Amino acid sequence: MHQTQGHALEVRLCAYIDGELGDAEKTELETLLARDEEAKALLERLKAGSAFGDTAFEDFLHDPVPLALVRQIKQGASINPKTERVTVAAANVRSARVWPRMMAASVALVLVGGATGYIIGTAHSVGEPTKVAAARSWLDDIADYHRIYARQKDRLVEVPASEAPVIETWLASSVGIPFTIPNLTGKGLTFEGARLLVANSKPVAQLLYRNADGDVFAICFLKDSDSPQSDAFTESIRDDLGMVSWQRGGASFVIVGPSSSVGLQDLAEAVSSTI
Amino acid sequence: MRPAAETKDFRRDLVSLLPKLRRFAMTLTRNANDADDLVQEACERAITRSHLWNGEGRLESWIYAMTRNLWVDEIRKRKVRTGSGTVDVSDQDELSVEASAEKAVYANQLQKMILSMPEGLASTFLLVNVEGHSYRETADILGIPIGTVMSRLSTARLRLAAMISENTERRA
Repeated sequence: MHQTQGHALEVRLCAYIDGELGDAEKTELETLLARDEEAKALLERLKAGSAFGDTAFEDFLHDPVPLALVRQIKQGASINPKTERVTVAAANVRSARVWPRMMAASVALVLVGGATGYIIGTAHSVGEPTKVAAARSWLDDIADYHRIYARQKDRLVEVPASEAPVIETWLASSVGIPFTIPNLTGKGLTFEGARLLVANSKPVAQLLYRNADGDVFAICFLKDSDSPQSDAFTESIRDDLGMVSWQRGGASFVIVGPSSSVGLQDLAEAVSSTI
Repeated sequence: MRPAAETKDFRRDLVSLLPKLRRFAMTLTRNANDADDLVQEACERAITRSHLWNGEGRLESWIYAMTRNLWVDEIRKRKVRTGSGTVDVSDQDELSVEASAEKAVYANQLQKMILSMPEGLASTFLLVNVEGHSYRETADILGIPIGTVMSRLSTARLRLAAMISENTERRA
């Protein structure tokens, strides 16, 4: 508690608003406010300024946080948000290092080309190309789907949220995993509906949500008894998308959203406990 | 050495803080590019010094104080280098924030008004009024006496009250 006697009235009233006064001073000011209209008007002005400032500062939180910085903190990667943002600096860096990179790329291409030629040349069964394709994880497919469908403003989903019971029955039988559509309104997400996708040649359920800013988030899952089962959350960033995945009960799950989103891990925890 | 899980949690908490940290940095630098640079520098420093964070109190208070110290250093360096400090927001054509929709333009105007307040008012108001820090905490974060916190706060509130009518006229 602070002593404000001797300070200007507006300073004292601010301390009164902020609960920074002792009981004696608080009572003194309340007595003053009860009989002095000017003091009362001043208090109202200070309160109005507070409310206006609150609203204005709330808007700052909607500014995009630099994506490269989020990546750098999450992954400790050697990304420099400054050079990504300042294009001139980035151009200089690129031109200075272009030849070593071209050399490395050429060598890599020769190796990849040679290896591919060898594989094609020695392949006797149709099973080999399938193995090459399988190296691509289902999360890569999910990221591709997300980038395409998240832009479909008017046709985001295949079955709308209004048919939630149908979605649960349909996707549970298609994917082979019983589930409940998580209610994420407490996390600021509205359920929009669902789609059935295919990843790694398996059916995948995709539940789509939007936040107040229109950002699209998706929960995807598929039957996957091959992967080691672990409730641990794995976070990864693929360009503009952030993904948090986990395994449970013979199924793999992932939640996808903008990589600038700061609460993906919390969302994953909420989904994991309710789905 | 901190366990890996703790380091990961610290990084996660830091990412969660980014929007608020950037907002605080904006009140210090009063332009978006400087704020982003400052936030980056503060985050790098916070990560390298995360072993010093004892987990008591609010993490943002610790990082805000670090951010404010970095900014004071930066201002000193600039003064030495060029004899000048920050570019005042009122001298800029536009804040470097994306603003395509009408709502965003309105938000941009509000931000510009807020940041046009004399130095120190916006950050004090933010810490006390918006984020609920006590006068003592605010004084510690900003490195100023409590009396200065009190006078800045009342000045900020009265200025903001005066902006209400200005803002209404602009929108009309």
